[in-house]
Amino acid sequence: MPSWPAETKYISHSTLRVDAPAKVSGRARYSSDIQAEGWLYGMILRSKWPAARIAKINLENALQIPGIKAALAVKEGESIVRFYGEELAAVAGTTKQACLDALRAIEVEAKALPFVVKENDARAEDAPRVWPNSANAGEGKPKEQGSVDQAFSECAAVIEGFYTTPVQLHHPMETHGCTVSWTDEGVTAWASTQGISSVRDGLAGGLQLEQSKVRVITEYMGGGFGSKFGAGVEGLMAARLSRAAKAPVRLMLTRFDQALAVGNRPSSFQKIKLGAKADGTLHAFELDNYGTAGIGGGSSEGGGGDVAIPAPYIYKVPNTRVKHTSVAVNAGSARAFRAPSNPPASFGMESAMDDLAVKLGMDPVELRLKNDPSAVRRREYDLGAERFGWKQKYQKPGSSAGPVKIGVGCAGATWWGGGTKRTQGEAEIHPDGGIEVRLGVQDLGTGTRTVIAVVAAEILGLKPEQITVKIGDTHYPPGPGSGGSTTCPSISPTVFDVCTQALQQLQAQTGVPDARGDNWPAACKKLGTSPLVVHGQWQEGLSSGGAGGVQFAEAAVDTETGQVTVNRILCVQDCGLIVNQITLESQVNGGIIMGLGYALYEERVMDHLSGVVLNPNFETYKLPGMADIPQIDIVLLNMPERGVIGVGEPVTIPTAAAIGNAVANALGVRVSSLPITPAKVLAALGKVPPPTAKPA
Amino acid sequence: MNAFQYTTALSTDSARQLAADNGAYLAGGNDLLGRLKEYLDSPKILVNIKSIAGLDRITAGSRVWTIGALVTVAQIETHPEIRAVFPGLHQAAAEVGSPQIRNVATVGGNLAQHSRCWYYRHRDTVCLKKGGDLCYARHSENRYHCLFTGNTCISPVVSNLSIALTALDAKVILLREGKETRMTVPELYQKAWDNPTAHNSLNPGDLIVKVEIPVGRTRSAFLQVSDKHAFDWALVSCAAAARVNGGKLSRARVALGCISPMPHQSAAANEFLEGKPLDEPTVAHAADLILQGAQPLAFNGYKVPLARTLIRRALLSLKG
Repeated sequence: MPSWPAETKYISHSTLRVDAPAKVSGRARYSSDIQAEGWLYGMILRSKWPAARIAKINLENALQIPGIKAALAVKEGESIVRFYGEELAAVAGTTKQACLDALRAIEVEAKALPFVVKENDARAEDAPRVWPNSANAGEGKPKEQGSVDQAFSECAAVIEGFYTTPVQLHHPMETHGCTVSWTDEGVTAWASTQGISSVRDGLAGGLQLEQSKVRVITEYMGGGFGSKFGAGVEGLMAARLSRAAKAPVRLMLTRFDQALAVGNRPSSFQKIKLGAKADGTLHAFELDNYGTAGIGGGSSEGGGGDVAIPAPYIYKVPNTRVKHTSVAVNAGSARAFRAPSNPPASFGMESAMDDLAVKLGMDPVELRLKNDPSAVRRREYDLGAERFGWKQKYQKPGSSAGPVKIGVGCAGATWWGGGTKRTQGEAEIHPDGGIEVRLGVQDLGTGTRTVIAVVAAEILGLKPEQITVKIGDTHYPPGPGSGGSTTCPSISPTVFDVCTQALQQLQAQTGVPDARGDNWPAACKKLGTSPLVVHGQWQEGLSSGGAGGVQFAEAAVDTETGQVTVNRILCVQDCGLIVNQITLESQVNGGIIMGLGYALYEERVMDHLSGVVLNPNFETYKLPGMADIPQIDIVLLNMPERGVIGVGEPVTIPTAAAIGNAVANALGVRVSSLPITPAKVLAALGKVPPPTAKPA
Repeated sequence: MNAFQYTTALSTDSARQLAADNGAYLAGGNDLLGRLKEYLDSPKILVNIKSIAGLDRITAGSRVWTIGALVTVAQIETHPEIRAVFPGLHQAAAEVGSPQIRNVATVGGNLAQHSRCWYYRHRDTVCLKKGGDLCYARHSENRYHCLFTGNTCISPVVSNLSIALTALDAKVILLREGKETRMTVPELYQKAWDNPTAHNSLNPGDLIVKVEIPVGRTRSAFLQVSDKHAFDWALVSCAAAARVNGGKLSRARVALGCISPMPHQSAAANEFLEGKPLDEPTVAHAADLILQGAQPLAFNGYKVPLARTLIRRALLSLKG
């Protein structure tokens, strides 16, 4: 079994991103920067109806607009649309304005159909059906372990709560889209994706081409978070437009489009009952949860869009009854979203844990230490509590003086984050000492090039800047999709193997007994005129899965305005072998900020009257800004014996739950619905008068 | 957006002539360009007014300060004397948008901006304000909407400057049919109170040229609370201005934003405050008077306690 070196020069230290100069100077070409020879703009026409029967789409007038080179319907003939924003047609033209004019010139003959966009409306008996042959609310079957009713009667303390989380929209800073060139030789797509291989396969399947005729390139991309594995309607339409217009088509979605049809995190409405023995030992748990994944009953584009959530999440309870109901509504469907199912699960369960702690008169950290089955997380709670000053900060709920109350809370996470065996790579060593390492992986923004350079430099005794890293092209050996926190544990062992084998072959071929470090140039020179190309693949024993992680939050809540200010978040995260400290910390910061948005700001707002998404922009779909971001303290547990583990996802899981618990601790009452807005805080405090205005 | 002509005016007279009845004045463009891109408005001609001389000045006076319509929000925010003389105006400016927006946003544009109601701004809803039959917000998602209105539309005024300027009893000077016309700030929005399709009282072709602020009120303050800590619209905003002598108020004015189509004031509250000690009972009673008759809807009731807090805090902060 291979093993990582015990003494390291780069691994577990901090190497600045090797591509930082390219990124900050604007030389890095993102998918949205690609300007292929003779390229056209592409745009999509979307349904204005939340539900409608489309009789005819007339593209004639659009084709008359000067500059328009192609216009295509997404589907031929009659069709049904089931959500506002569903794709109807697409156009390609020489300017953005020509495309906008063309979209307005397309005539759509449609008959509006009844629709329903809110979970609670959709559950009603007489609600319009999203799908004609099935009820909106699929009856989930309760799963029971042990004897729940009996067990609740044996509890010393039982709490009940109704904890809800909103639909969270996918809004990576770079929107979805690509440039596609389809010629007789095949298709080349410059895609903003987290899976170049899956986009290649999606395009090949959708266009009925051989996979070998499709090449996908992603030099740089601006975030995906689970929503960018597939070619998407936008990718397929860009390809068809390119074919029709005989030119490359760049079809990047607008921010408006992003709010409608590129996936989201399902909502959850969790009715939880939780009971414990007098010493705090959890004894009985019941969850009745429903939520919506939009029109999709579950997964699309990479999976993970189901409404079911793990329960009772990270805890072991001997008696449990769990039921999930997926509610279809006329809205864009769910997709995998950074740690699918886990943030809502964490918010519901960890809120219930704190409510139970209050009822038991126990310190919430003590209650977790008592019940958390993970030794690693228990250690993290101990470490975190010490670092955070938990014992000094934790006060009786609502007991801090003055109108602005301070509170603290904590929560834990779990995530697999292991590597995928399929990963392959290659190295090309040149006689002049240059080395290029090539993997068909893409950088989701996490620092993939840097990780490859760090591992290669470590094995070869070189400096990271001596390694030329080539990624983001399906012509390179196949790499993993960047999802599930699997990238780092997939590529690190692969690069280890590639470089170990390359070193062995170099030494064997040149007779240099140790070609590393200072000996490298002389050994390479002995290659003569041909470079050495060596393949390698993922190896067992260098990575594993199963990260934990806990977070602590301190919040100040103004009880007279309802505004929440998060002062501090402390994250204690086990990482296995840390490959590169600084890019890892960057991921933790990003995860926490995303969790902060989920806690306080983000929410898709559907209008039940018109069926539209009311906040399809950053003016009203609110994301954290610099002024909202707290002090973030990061404690990383380096555990080389476990090998590399991905932690991009666990670091976002407990943030909202910890903030929610801090707010509850500050106020002495719980705001059990995310996002925690001033309106909800004031309502929880009983300060909001009932409506008096007549709606008429 | 639809096609338009573009021209630059060098005087207010030529601006008026060039704009005619189907034109729009372009200064910072923050609001206007958004409206054009969403096809909410399609003027035939955009008249760039940034080159008109004399409208970009802040002029201090012993009785009245004059602020030109082309003065940027950032200029107000960073002007050291305004900070001392009209701290409420400074604070109102500092809360507008982001630094990038404040750098180009002008006083005239801030005052003349249109509704931010998410139904009005949505490309696929035809609400009452857009000439449709229904105020969607009234029946649906109204968390950001009015507690007071004179008509059926519940889209509130969101201009920060209008709230601070109302409390400071400023006058807006505009050119209407070639003549200077003076309005109080509430008068500038009166039509939006009366008429669901109006955003303010400006007629086509009207051009705001300056505001005049009397210096009598030596203390002023502006507070807002938003969902986020920066770069977000106020849920409720509140400005207060007064003289304070020996702990007693005189000439006090309180105005609130985001709860009415016009800056919300109460004449009874302003009268009540005259000569009163600046203490908790005084401000609590003033808040009662100001919020009397508030009509919360399904999702905006939180604005009542929030407004009450901001009235109290804004007034109490005048103690200095």
